[in-house]
This record gives sequence, C-alpha cells and structure tokens, in this order.
Amino acid sequence: MKLDNMFKKTKHVSDVKNITKANTIQPEVPEGLLKKCNKCGKTIVAEDAKANYNICPKCGGYFRIHAYRRIAMLADEDSFEEWDPDLCSGNPMNYKGYEEKVESLQEKTGLKEAIVTGKIKIDGMECVLGVCDGRFLMASMGQAVGEKIARAVERATRERLPVILIACSGGARMQEGIVALMQMAKTAAALKKHSDAGLLYISLLTDPTTGGVTASFAMLGDIILAEPKALIGFAGPRVIEQTIRQKLPKGFQRSEFLLEHGFVDRIVERHEMKAVLAQILRLHCKADRPDSVLDKEAAENPEESIYVPESMELEAWERVQISRKNDRPVGSDYITSLFDDFIELHGDRGYGDDHAVIGGIASFCGQPVTVIAQAKGSNTKENIDRNFGMPSPEGYRKALRLIREAEKFQRPVICFVDTPGAFCGMEAEERGQGEAIARSIYELSSIQTPILSVIIGEGGSGGALALAVADEVWMLENAIYSILSPEGFASILWKDSTKAKEAAGVMKLTASDLYEENIIEQVIPEPSCFTRENLDEVAKPLKKRIRQFLDTYCNMSKEELTARRYERFRKM
Amino acid sequence: MIKKVLIANRGEIAVRIIRACREIGIETVAVYSEADREALHTQLADEAICIGPAALSESYLSMERIISATIVSGADAIHPGFGFLSENSKFAELCEKCNITFIGPGSEVIAKLGNKQEARNIMAAAGVPVIPGTEEPIFDAKTGAKAAKKIGYPVMIKAALGGGGKGMRVADTPEEFELNFLTAQKEAEMAFGNNTMYIEHYVRHPRHVEFQILADSQGNVVHLGERDCSVQRNHQKMIEESPCCAISDELRQKMGRAAVKAAKAAGYVNAGTIEFLLEKNQQFYFMEMNTRIQVEHPVTEWVTGIDLVKEQIRIASGQPLGFRQKDIRISGHSIECRINAENPEKGFRPSPGTITDIYLPGGKGIRIDSAAYSGYTIPPYYDSMIAKLIVWAKNREEAIRKMQSALGEIIIEGINTNVDYQYEILNHPDFLTGNVDVEFIEKMEAGAAFEQ
Repeated sequence: MKLDNMFKKTKHVSDVKNITKANTIQPEVPEGLLKKCNKCGKTIVAEDAKANYNICPKCGGYFRIHAYRRIAMLADEDSFEEWDPDLCSGNPMNYKGYEEKVESLQEKTGLKEAIVTGKIKIDGMECVLGVCDGRFLMASMGQAVGEKIARAVERATRERLPVILIACSGGARMQEGIVALMQMAKTAAALKKHSDAGLLYISLLTDPTTGGVTASFAMLGDIILAEPKALIGFAGPRVIEQTIRQKLPKGFQRSEFLLEHGFVDRIVERHEMKAVLAQILRLHCKADRPDSVLDKEAAENPEESIYVPESMELEAWERVQISRKNDRPVGSDYITSLFDDFIELHGDRGYGDDHAVIGGIASFCGQPVTVIAQAKGSNTKENIDRNFGMPSPEGYRKALRLIREAEKFQRPVICFVDTPGAFCGMEAEERGQGEAIARSIYELSSIQTPILSVIIGEGGSGGALALAVADEVWMLENAIYSILSPEGFASILWKDSTKAKEAAGVMKLTASDLYEENIIEQVIPEPSCFTRENLDEVAKPLKKRIRQFLDTYCNMSKEELTARRYERFRKM
Repeated sequence: MIKKVLIANRGEIAVRIIRACREIGIETVAVYSEADREALHTQLADEAICIGPAALSESYLSMERIISATIVSGADAIHPGFGFLSENSKFAELCEKCNITFIGPGSEVIAKLGNKQEARNIMAAAGVPVIPGTEEPIFDAKTGAKAAKKIGYPVMIKAALGGGGKGMRVADTPEEFELNFLTAQKEAEMAFGNNTMYIEHYVRHPRHVEFQILADSQGNVVHLGERDCSVQRNHQKMIEESPCCAISDELRQKMGRAAVKAAKAAGYVNAGTIEFLLEKNQQFYFMEMNTRIQVEHPVTEWVTGIDLVKEQIRIASGQPLGFRQKDIRISGHSIECRINAENPEKGFRPSPGTITDIYLPGGKGIRIDSAAYSGYTIPPYYDSMIAKLIVWAKNREEAIRKMQSALGEIIIEGINTNVDYQYEILNHPDFLTGNVDVEFIEKMEAGAAFEQ
C-alpha cells in the first residue's frame, strides 16, 4: 500500500486571534548561535566548539584560535605577562592603503599586531611565549612581528628561559617588502643565540604555517610539535599546483605528512597540548640529580660483585638463536620498564622518520635522559613496520640529532642495540647508509655527555656499532655482537652460508667472549627462558647498574669523559 | 498560543502527536530521515521535511538540523516525543534561545533531573524517600558495617567506579557483611584500580511503580495515579498497567503526594513521571524522574480520561490545568502490551523488513497506537517497537481477558514479532495473580528453561 497523498491535512486551524497574544515573537536563530564548520561543512552549535578547544564536535577539525584564547589554554591562571603590547610596524614601502588596513584590523581585533608575546607559567614552570593571531593579515611577519619575536627571544636568553613560539602564519608580510624578508634572518639569529646559550626552544606549528615563517623561526625548534592536519609548508599548495601543473595528493603538506618526512617531532592534540608542553619543559629543567637517594640505597644494599659469566653452558649458535627469538623483549619493552614519562620524538629533519629506531627523552629515576632504541617490534605487524629492526640512514640521523640535543641539554644518553644489521636495500644506499653510520660513529666519539649502550639482542655489524660508540657497552648474557651475521661470515669466508653454526663457534660473538676480549664492560645475566613476562628479572638489576653508571660518568668533566671514550677505542 | 508544531520524532509517538495536534487545530510538521520517506508520520503530517540520512546522529539526533527545519517551516513549537532529543537539556536550551516553544519542561529542569546525584539530592531535601545510603565513601569493613546497620539490611555494597556488576555484593545480614564487603572491594580494586566503596539499602524484588504528574506554569501540580511497569526484560518495559494491583488507596495517596512534592521540588512544568521502587513491605523509594511523555502514557489516559499529549501542548502554551487533584478519578483497569519487531526465539534480535500483511484487532475497550501498515518496511536503524496494544475494562481480570483475546487476533506477516511471547506472559499464573516484580521475566524464562 502506497500512502502518498492519501491522508487529509489539518483543516480546522484554531483561530489564533482569539487567543492571548502571549507568543508574538517569531522563532529565529540568534546571531552566532550556530555556525558552519569550514572543514566538514556541517552546522554546529558555536558554543560546543568553543567548549571543545575550538574543535568541530562533528568532524574533529581544528579551528584557528585567537592568540589570547590560546594563551588561556596553556598558561597557568593569571600567569601571563604581556611584553611589548604596543609595538607596531611602519609602512616601509609606503604601500598604498596599508596603514588604513592595519588600523581597521587593530580596531576589529583589538590587537596591535599579528603576534602576542610575553611570559607565562605552564604547570608552574616559567617560559617565554609568542602566539601568532591569524586574524591579523594572516599573521604575516612584518617588522613588528619580527621585532617582538627577537625581543622576546633575547630576553629569554638573558633570563635563561625556554621559548615556545606558536606559529600560524601565511609567511613574510608582502606589504612591508624586503624589510619583512629580513625578519626571517632577525628571528633566526636571535634563536641561534638562545640555542647557543643552551636553552630550549619549542616550536608549535598550527594551521597554516607557510612561507617565510616556515623558512625561519617555525622550523628551528629543538622540538617541533604540530597540531593535527595543519597545513605546513614553504610554498603554498596553490602556488605549487600552478607551477608544476599537477594536482597535489591528499594530505600533502599536512602535519602527518611532515611527521612522516621527518620534520616534525610529534603531532599533539589540542586537549593534551598543555600536558605535553609541561612534560617537555619538566624534562628540560635543570633538576639536581637525586644523588642522595641513590647513595642511600646503595649504602643499604652493598653492591654484589659484577657478574662474571660462568663457564659456557650454551654453544655460541644456541645463543645466536636465543638472541633472535620472537618473544625476546625488544627495545620498546626496556623503555617502558626502565623509564618514566618517555616522550618519543620523531624524524631526522631531512628525509623521514625511521620506525626501526625509537628515540626520545624520558626520566630515569628522576633524571632526564635521552633514550635511543633499535626497535624490532613484538608481532608480525610491528616487525614489518619497524623493518625487523634494520635501520635506514634516516634512523641513524634521527638518533644523532637527538644525541646532539642530549649534549646541548647535558642529558646522558642510553642506547639499546638490537639489530641484525643496517638495512640493506637500494633506498638505503641512495640516501647514504654508509655515510649515516660513519657520521654517527664519528660524532658519538666526541659527544660531551655520557653514553651507555646496552646490546639486548643482536648486535649486527656497523649497524650496531653506530649506536655503540659509548663510554661503556654492556651485553645481555645471550646477546651477540659481531662483525657480520654468522650466515654472512660463513658465506664470505667459506662460500657457504649454511655453515653459520660453525661460524658462530669461531666468531667470538657471545657476551662472555667479548667480555674476555675487553670489547664490553659488563654482562647482564638473563633467566633461562627470557621473555616479556619475566623482563623484570633483567630490568631491575639493569636499572641499578645504569644508576651506578650515571653516578660515575655524570660526575666526570667533559674532557675526561671524551678522553676516556677516545682511549676506549684507541686501545682496541 | 502554539500554531504549528514540529514533531522531532518518528514512529507511533509521532503519529500520536500529529493526531492530537490535528484535533485541537494545530498544524503539524514531520521531520524524517531518508529511511523514513514512506513512514506513516511522514505521510500523515501537514508538511514533512527530510533532515538527513538514516543514521540517527545525522537526522533525529541532529539538533542543528531540527532547529533549522523548525525555522524554515515556520513552526513555533517542537514536540520531542520520547527518546531521541526529548530529555536533552542542551536541545531544550537551543529551542529556548531560538524562541521555539519546547513542549516539555525547561532546559535547566531537564539538566538537573538528568543528573542522578542532583536529582536524588533534590528529592531527599524535599522529603521524598530515596534509597538510604552512605554519603561518604567507605574504605574499610568496620566503618561499612556500622553504616550498613544504620541503613538497614539487606544492603548493597558497590564500588564507586563500579559497572557491569563488578565490585557489587549484597549482604543480607550483619554476619555476612564483612566477607562480602572485602570481596567486593577486592574485585573493585582488581577491575578499576580503586577501592572506594558505597553502601546503600538493597531493595529486594521491587516493583517498578511510576506516577504520572501534570504541572502547569502557574504552579499547579496534579498526579494521575500510577503505572505498574514491573514486567521488564533487560530493563526494557514490556507490559504496563494502571492501576497497580499491589497498592492500596491509602498507599496510592501517599505515593501520589510524594510525586507531587517531587515535581514541585524540581520546579517542574509539563507532563512528567516519577519512578519509584516499591518494596514488598510497601516502602517506596524515588528512582528517577522522566521529563517527557512516556511510551506507556495511554494506560493513564484511559483510566483518567485525560489526553496527556493535548495537556502537554496546553501547558506549553501557558494555559493553566483545567482540573484539580480532587477532579482526578481512576476508573477501571488498563493494560498496554508493546509489540516489537523482534524474534524472541533468537534472543529478541530485531526483525526489520516489510510487513506484507497486517491485521490489528478493534472493538470496545481496545486501542492501537501504531505506525505500521500493510506494505510498510521497518528500517533496521531505529527502535523495534511497531505498535502498542492498549485495553481497558472495568477491572484487572476483565482487562487481562480482553488483552488475551486481542493478542490472539493480531496478524502481522513478513516479520517476526513478540506477540506470542506477550500472549504467554498474559497467561502466566503469576501475572494473572499480579504476583510480579522487576525480575518476573527473568524468573519466567528460567522456569521455561527448567521445564525443557
């Protein structure tokens, strides 16, 4: 049965005139109650977005935020102190209509210029903050913006404070011509001085960050964070499309694209931004090393003598197989069990982010440290994502970048080595696998902060050594460390890779062999069947030994440290 | 005065509201999703506006779209029906901001009654009985035992972060308190990593008895007697009746007075329902207040002779109630059975599809509220209730016989329904004697399984 137009409509509409004129106001949507999301096109209740960090409740798209609102989201209550609020640009090119435009924007936005700078506290920690406001000529950088950033950064250098700059900008301000271009150099130079003073700069990229801002202060952070799906690039997508006459792929120049290409450390959701910034700041605070605690505990538990491996019960080949076992704990397991507040940082700032290497900063017994781990993954899906622990050049370059930062902030470095070898493939060669390993070995030899390397599984050749040029190298009882895999060794010397077992026997690749050869300093005992389940049996004593390592090496002068490291390899 | 009402709902309740509006000369606007193009409410209203695709969030739950449809159609009021946006205080607030009359209580009242703790506080402060329990969290068995003694056994020990029955234990006597407390606490710690506990009086084998109230904007509040909704499956009501055969006139007056007090304490305007748990010893406790028209409103309409939907519209127009408490007479007995498109033999899984043929009974004392018709295709996206069969007779026994007879007449082809299941309930000895509580269905199913 079809019902179309079957029913009679309401006939006797009640006579409205007879009834009291209670409701004479016509229903209407008041101005500003609803708005259209510019991401998904859906109508939303404006207040809902506002209450949700200016995020569309329907599609999760991020709306741009006014500078003061952004500050309110990050700063501890009443902690914001504004600097140079009245600084304005002139009209260096006498560009027609520019002054009027600026004036009308000043009136409309209540801002004097496109950036707000000052000092805030985040979770009680002071830092200098600059926030672009896109309402003001798309927060383009003219003389005033450049000057305000330079002044804020200079003052941060003087007061020894970290800097956070929140970029949201179309680039250099066209109306101010060459003077605007010079602001790129001015801001970058101020940041260089700040960095040379050993201070932290966090750059936060929001939608959009392009042009001369990307090509100056925005890309210079020690740590670069980005909001999800923000447009970040040098040339704008429209300009690129017109130039190359091609349509750009979806997601091109978005935060996720930059993360994948190694230019962004982390994508951070707005609601956790303050917590992440606070965590980073905390890990950069010059906290005193909690020596007292260590000493006290050490006094209570007089140290057992360093474990000397007993006569070999297992054959070398058996240990090779154990070191490669699927359920053996991997780098990420050690990170979780040994450290607190680990925050992973991504990318080599040049080409990509290699998932075979995990790097970041964390707290070890209250002390900030940099952690680098070669990562194999713990199931097939992860194995593939992490390329079975075989790093690419960008993996070594990421590690080196983070180790250099560790040196800058005087954080000790703890590396976990577990790789069959550096990735052997065309792409790796194209991007200079040999150069990347060489550079890592070269630089690590003189990095002026303590470095400890622990070989937890396979220590395969140069790919392992690149992260094992350290003050001390330790090995787990069943880890191996060798010039090449036993298979490769047999194949090169005996032209028969099936003789791997025999090869393992002669290569001196076990922890006890290497301990006797003075290639390594310590052997960490393992339970007989070592898996993630009983990781604690290794992690607990390992933690203690790492504390002792830090006690010794953090108290050395930089000269002594690097001289000893030089000698360590010199005598081999 | 309201001239044109947009019905922000679908199914039989939308149809019910359209009919009420038509009878008092108010034009109607239906909203429908793409899946409801052929639905009865879409066809029956004076106008119909498609507000989006089938998905609820894109249609019947989209506040923005419904507000836009209201403005576009020139309607000056929205009737939210039940479910969907009917108890959404934010939606009511949006209506208020847009000068649209929301046919229901004010947004603030909805918000505070929607918050369980706040509602409980309001009621307790007004002297409406609430289930006694600890105000402060309890961490150890000794303090707990003291509190339990004060509250009165049996008691329910429950985890602050509890859910899904985890961290919950009933203690019948002081002797078993300590062990049960420790077990529940341990369970809570394992499941939620938190050992904060609360203790409250445990109402064993309660009946679900709710009172219908009407409150106008001048402050007049009356109650229209109760509905017994104890026949529930998984907290879904199946059969409702009025009056409740387990309460005396005296208790009815007492509970009714409490209901009126509750509505007044909340500053309530429009039709609402106060749900109580009724213990075997005639003790009753406030559970929650529903701030909308209820599915089971027809049984109250029939025993009182009052059209609740029309009253809702009158109240929303600012008119005073046309009657006082003393004018309310409960006469006869009314029962409602919910007819759902579902398959009781397959775990009551929904049974959408096309109704190829339908025959629904009629006659004296029989009312059908439905949006189904021959050839109607029930979409799979929404609630499975397709009809309500309501009967009236001068006493419960006759009403049951009428319901048995009517259920036996229903023919719905093309889909599965729960008609036979309802018929079984209507013939169950415990139902016949009125010996039911909220666990009735559970017990009945367990009994059936036992027999097999």
